[in-house]
Amino acid sequence: MIISTGINELDKMIDGGLRTSYCYAIKGTAGAGKTVLSLFITHGALQKDIPVLFISTEVESDKIVEYGKSFGMDLQSFIKSGQLSVEKMTLKPQGVNLVQTERFDLSGIIARTKAKLQKINAKLVIFDSITAFFAEFQYEKTARSNFMDFIREITNEDTVLIFTAESQVAEEYATLEEFLVDGVIKIRTELKNNQLIKKISVPKLRSAQPTHFENRFIIDKKGVTIFRSEHPPISLIEEEKTGIGRLDELLGGGIPTGSVILIEVDGETNYFPLFLTSMYHHLSENKGVIIHSNVHMYSSKIVEEFKRSKSDITSHLNEGNVVFIDKYNRSVTAVEAREMSQLMTTDDMISVTVELMEAFAQAKQKVVLFGDLTDDANILSESDFLRYFALQSFNIKERRAIAYSFINFNAISREILARLRTTADIIIRFSRVEYNHYIECLKSSTGATFLPKIVKFNDTVPLIEIIG
Amino acid sequence: MELKVMFFTSPTCGWCPFVEGILKKIIDEVSHLTLEIIDISKEVDKAEEYEIVAIPTIILPNNQRIIGGADEAFIREQLNFFVFMGQS
Repeated sequence: MIISTGINELDKMIDGGLRTSYCYAIKGTAGAGKTVLSLFITHGALQKDIPVLFISTEVESDKIVEYGKSFGMDLQSFIKSGQLSVEKMTLKPQGVNLVQTERFDLSGIIARTKAKLQKINAKLVIFDSITAFFAEFQYEKTARSNFMDFIREITNEDTVLIFTAESQVAEEYATLEEFLVDGVIKIRTELKNNQLIKKISVPKLRSAQPTHFENRFIIDKKGVTIFRSEHPPISLIEEEKTGIGRLDELLGGGIPTGSVILIEVDGETNYFPLFLTSMYHHLSENKGVIIHSNVHMYSSKIVEEFKRSKSDITSHLNEGNVVFIDKYNRSVTAVEAREMSQLMTTDDMISVTVELMEAFAQAKQKVVLFGDLTDDANILSESDFLRYFALQSFNIKERRAIAYSFINFNAISREILARLRTTADIIIRFSRVEYNHYIECLKSSTGATFLPKIVKFNDTVPLIEIIG
Repeated sequence: MELKVMFFTSPTCGWCPFVEGILKKIIDEVSHLTLEIIDISKEVDKAEEYEIVAIPTIILPNNQRIIGGADEAFIREQLNFFVFMGQS
């Protein structure tokens, strides 16, 4: 049985919902919102008629009910209808003195919890929190190791067990509880620009891929809202597709028009499959494609490569949908070339590109620009190069076009790369580790970044596929 | 005045029979002390009433609790300290 957390995005993060006979830990620093989150999960289950047993080890049960009220939950009515039971369980009840030895087990709390959950037929048990619970034990280690019995006995009843645990701010290593549980939901608060920002992640999840990235979330009266970085709300922005299905998906549906996409490749990686697939897709949408030719990207090579992959772009070439701007004309002599390079300044490149963009716009065609920046970065002076990239990017954004700029990140300085990154809207890194190619997104105007994913190559279009 | 010592035990508890034997022995020696043995697997309500978490738990008449198994000397010491000293 899968129980929804009542928080749509959290369900997605934990592979659809909470599974019965599984144990989950909500870990978080003090004040991150562990109790509130567990209360919202409780409320979510109750609204779907799933009975819940809430065990509080810190505060009295009426305080929990009151706490829920401050978030607009009427827990009292669920207690009355017998769907909810809120219990305080602690080693040291009020007014009691303790002497402790280390020879004990936790069968007391196990028997009590089992009796309570059977009474209301609970499918969800919340234990808030184990940190406070263990703090009362003089022999904490014994208590912790005996807590395994608690987890086993409770999840055996075909219920979901969620416990909350306080984590230290600088906790690098997984604690004992993280090994025992089937899923870990981690929340933390960080101070950014004088604002407290809450973040949620799922570093461990049995049965499914854990999501390693963190999502921002807010808690207010309306509930817990998670802003999932994989699917940002960009419905208002006009979207374009890259032509690589999975990449569009990972970028949250596509790329907004007016985007400058910086594709960082190492010198040994062949980016042509990525480039050609994308170019082919844009051509099939009847867009105008401008290519800034250079030693890597030139007309005959591109046509050859398309032929090799059995894709015909002749009609597009004939219709003039593909235009090459040749900065380094290879048919001229050395002297002429020197003169030409003086003639064809970066400003000329920009003005020719802009003229072409206007021509395409008159024919009501959208424009996509492809270019390899590596040579420009090496030939031009630093300031000229950055000015060139900035001007190009500005015109792309201004005219709602798309630019794919490839760069060999090993061939340029870190400072230059950092500046290019600032200008770019989307940064995709395409690199090779031994015999595997990986693609990752480091920056995205939509907020949808992703970690390296393995890339597979095909003989025909699409020449590239992302796995996972 | 009759004083009652409560002893909470469970079938899964390995130290309980040993502690139970000691308690019975000590309490036999003292006239005004009685022992109530509660198996929480049969009497969950009692465990709930006294908010029992760990087993074994011994509740002494003055609400002092001993959590965990202990030897005779330890239990005698606790009884002496918390019950008999208070009486005299």
